[in-house]
Amino acid sequence: MSSNILLRLRNVEKVFGDTVALAPTSLEIAAGSFVAIVGPSGCGKSTLFNVIAGLLQPEQGEVELDGRLINGATGHVGYMLQKDLLVPWRTVEDNITMAARLTRRVTNDDRLEARRVAHQYGLGEFLRHYPSALSGGMRQRVAFMRTLVTHQPLLLLDEPFGALDAQTRLEMQQWLLQVWRETGRTVLFITHDVDESIFLSDRILVMSPRPGRVVADISNPLGRPRTFDSLTDPHFVEVKSQIMRLLHGGDQ
Amino acid sequence: MKRRVLRNVGVPLLSIVLLLTIWQLIVVVFHIAPYIAPRPWGAIRAVTTDWSTLWPLVLGTIRETVYGFFVGALLGLSLGVIMAKVKVLQRLVYPVLVLSQAVPIIALAAPLVLILGFSVTPKVVIVAWIVFFPVTVNVLDGLSHVDQDLVNLAKVYGASRWRTFLQIEIPATTTPLFSGLKIGATYAVTGAIIGELAASSGSSLALYQEHANSNLNTAAVYGTTMVMTVIGISWFLLVVGAEVLATPWQRRSVARRQRWRRTPDDRTNVLNPK
Ligand SMILES: Nc1ncnc2c1ncn2[C@@H]1O[C@H](COP(=O)(O)OP(=O)(O)OP(=O)(O)O)[C@@H](O)[C@H]1O
Ligand SMILES: [Mg+2]
Repeated sequence: MSSNILLRLRNVEKVFGDTVALAPTSLEIAAGSFVAIVGPSGCGKSTLFNVIAGLLQPEQGEVELDGRLINGATGHVGYMLQKDLLVPWRTVEDNITMAARLTRRVTNDDRLEARRVAHQYGLGEFLRHYPSALSGGMRQRVAFMRTLVTHQPLLLLDEPFGALDAQTRLEMQQWLLQVWRETGRTVLFITHDVDESIFLSDRILVMSPRPGRVVADISNPLGRPRTFDSLTDPHFVEVKSQIMRLLHGGDQ
Repeated sequence: MKRRVLRNVGVPLLSIVLLLTIWQLIVVVFHIAPYIAPRPWGAIRAVTTDWSTLWPLVLGTIRETVYGFFVGALLGLSLGVIMAKVKVLQRLVYPVLVLSQAVPIIALAAPLVLILGFSVTPKVVIVAWIVFFPVTVNVLDGLSHVDQDLVNLAKVYGASRWRTFLQIEIPATTTPLFSGLKIGATYAVTGAIIGELAASSGSSLALYQEHANSNLNTAAVYGTTMVMTVIGISWFLLVVGAEVLATPWQRRSVARRQRWRRTPDDRTNVLNPK
């Protein structure tokens, strides 16, 4: 099982005043893998993402993407939050091509790709709609397509389905796995939902606060493809109780 | 569609008719003398019979209003943007702007005419003086409330500050910008009339009214006021119309047209490649 490393963190630390948001952390993320990150609120998950995305300059350490040092440099990853951040004044198609519009001229190829992705993943009928006409799940899908067409190999998804109802969230998880399988991206996925982290990932990083750090790196034994049966798989139950113990202390 | 037109045009018209009716009733019921307050119809007739004299004056007032509005809008937008972007300037300039609005505009009109003469310029300056402020305040407010997560997202994509400004910050400020413009539009005519009054020579709508007043031609005084009001309302409605055109996403769920031009039929092409 030799896979090449897409993202490598070496002793990356981020401090806000007196708060050590992220204690020196080292990580290696294999290309094409799906890695989930769980941890209590305020343990530095988003901070970790913002450092990787280049929005925050780490106090020390190195962030390496594909062998290149990208400390504090933007424009290297795809990034998506719980808020869909679609702009209301643009149609679905124009929202999908937003990254292009923000960095250069939008070409016909960009538009064609946006339409192709939308058709392929079930939003072809809505290309000319404004975001206000879409449901929460559809909006998150558009936001994800916008992330996808940036062609960044690494996607940082910060609780992307956190605001959706349980039903829609399940659908979106299936959908995301399909897109991930078909596009071969590397995904880092923050979630508060332990089930979600196990259902989606190859590997789960468990974080703890004060100082924010990775306390466990669990390789997910659950096989693929994932179906609803996966949720009752003995492996699933076992990993879940392991994570729950890490998050909520040993005795329960 | 028909119902919407009825609601958006019919109801406001009805309220105007109602207002004129109340006016008529008051004048009739209380036996108010025509030289104190004419009946609405008399006021309208006073204006229409003298329309050939009035029309060039109306055009003059419209010109002052529109020029001043555009100067003020542009100035207001620029000031708002500059103050939002350069925090030091904001602290420096904002108090001066507030001060500029605290000065009674009427007290300012006379010296302005002295400095700038009897041309259209002092009126334009006064209108712009009134219009820029609500625009600046709203634009500044809008720009400082742009979702920072959205700005960060643009940053992650590698967007320059300029592109972020053009593609995110400016469009996100459209609604507050138009709020400022609409407030400005309602006051613009008042500014033009104050300017005309201050320039006590030459011919203008305001001086025409003054003349009518000194001749005890009350119907013409009221009629002229109505004309001024109509100019103000029309300009306001034009600005509202511009807003409607500029913000289609606030009324429709589907864009009227998309940029399908210059592209082949994508659906068959892309879904079934080769
Ligand atoms: N810009 C900032 N300035 C100061 N402190 C910050 C800043 N951003 C984050 N922090 C602090 O750093 C710590 C980690 O925050 P972070 O947002 O990374 O947590 P999180 O794990 O994403 O939490 P949540 O699950 O609630 O999203 C918190 O204590 C937070 O208060
Ligand atoms: Mg967070």
